[in-house]
Amino acid sequence: MDSLARVHFPATLSEAAAILRARPGARLIAGGTDLLVKHRNGLLPEVTDFIDVTGLGLHEIVLADGQVRIGSGCTMTAVAGHPLVRERFPALVQGAMQVGAFQIRNAATLGGNVGNASPAGDSIPPLVSLDAVALLFGPDGRRTVPLAEFFTGPGKTVLQPGELIEAFLLPDRRTAGAFLKLGERRAHAISKVSLAFSCWESAPGRREVRIALGAVAPTVIRCRKAEELLSAAPWPPPAELVDKARALVVEAARPIDDLRSQKEYRRRMTGVLFQRALEQVRA
Amino acid sequence: MPTQELIPIRFALNGRTVEARVPPGMTLLELVRREFRLTAAKEGCGKGECGACTVLLNDQPINSCLKLAASLRPTDRVVTLEGLADDPLMVTIQKAYVAEGAVQCGFCIPGMVMSSYHLLRTHPQPSAAQIKEFHSGNLCRCTGYAKIEKAVAKAAAAAATSGQPAGGPAPEPRKETR
Repeated sequence: MDSLARVHFPATLSEAAAILRARPGARLIAGGTDLLVKHRNGLLPEVTDFIDVTGLGLHEIVLADGQVRIGSGCTMTAVAGHPLVRERFPALVQGAMQVGAFQIRNAATLGGNVGNASPAGDSIPPLVSLDAVALLFGPDGRRTVPLAEFFTGPGKTVLQPGELIEAFLLPDRRTAGAFLKLGERRAHAISKVSLAFSCWESAPGRREVRIALGAVAPTVIRCRKAEELLSAAPWPPPAELVDKARALVVEAARPIDDLRSQKEYRRRMTGVLFQRALEQVRA
Repeated sequence: MPTQELIPIRFALNGRTVEARVPPGMTLLELVRREFRLTAAKEGCGKGECGACTVLLNDQPINSCLKLAASLRPTDRVVTLEGLADDPLMVTIQKAYVAEGAVQCGFCIPGMVMSSYHLLRTHPQPSAAQIKEFHSGNLCRCTGYAKIEKAVAKAAAAAATSGQPAGGPAPEPRKETR
């Protein structure tokens, strides 16, 4: 079963990028909670090498230049427990805490969850709702990509050969927010539909709003029309505006029928999650 | 099939420094079971869903079926259930499981008690919700959890009255005799 020939332990990002570019069968591994499952079930016959990125110093969370910088190698437990994150980004705390169970969250990394590019990845809608930018490192140097533009399809990203995610940069601001998901059961289940809501004060009595949906489109998506409506309105938004925004959120969802759920259920629940998230944030 | 290189590793296993040479794809679970004959941790699903393979890595519970053995570092401390055999808190937990009839087929229990241990180390007086939350990564297909939850609550009460140390990092585990 095992096509795996080597595990590399690069000491620097440049070294990791060089191996990644030179070996088409190489995959980055950090927590391994998704990659090893696929590998051990024979779903990655093309993979010949693992590149262990846990020695690259990617597990720091720091505040610098008006941004909270979260290393891609931070585990979900580390992200959800860090004061810089807890004080600013409730949606991300809730998202990270709803990935898998304890055992998974102690190993799974933010970079892995994002790099996997599953539309159901639970850390992704929160990051998108917080205007996160991915800092990429590659053979030609560094570049940044807004996370909302990072995904091109299920499992597909804008990452070029040899490129890897070094960190996530989140604007330093105190936000209110929530992440809600529906799965087969409350804990330790893949999302059938998920929603992240984040907002922050833009002017007295006004809030800039972000809404991101998971598992209802080929990638995590933003609900820009609903965001604009709520961002232009006084906060908290009046009931009729909430109804309008809810309709716009449902409209933005483009779900499919698959093994985990049905299109119509997902569509309707998107609206329900929006309502619940808004109530949670207003409370 | 390409030739697999063996990777030399060194880490602390149940309080003792050990060395091994492992194939690239070997998991920590395979390593402790096959090379060190520590068979408490079990492979239930092999996908990180059932928690029967739970061990502590640097005091945190992980699924050993999803940890690449090759990635272990000299600073890593792995504790399996065997390493806690004489630990007073673990003994209290095990007695409570027996007293409450929380064990049927037993396959999930080595992982389940590791999660109980982690819970009671970090939350000596857990709420009912915390007991559920901390065991959410462990599946039992026999008892339906009610008895397990009762056992954990009983263990917490017993540990409190006997004044067992709780909170903070785990004590130095028993040395492997092998």
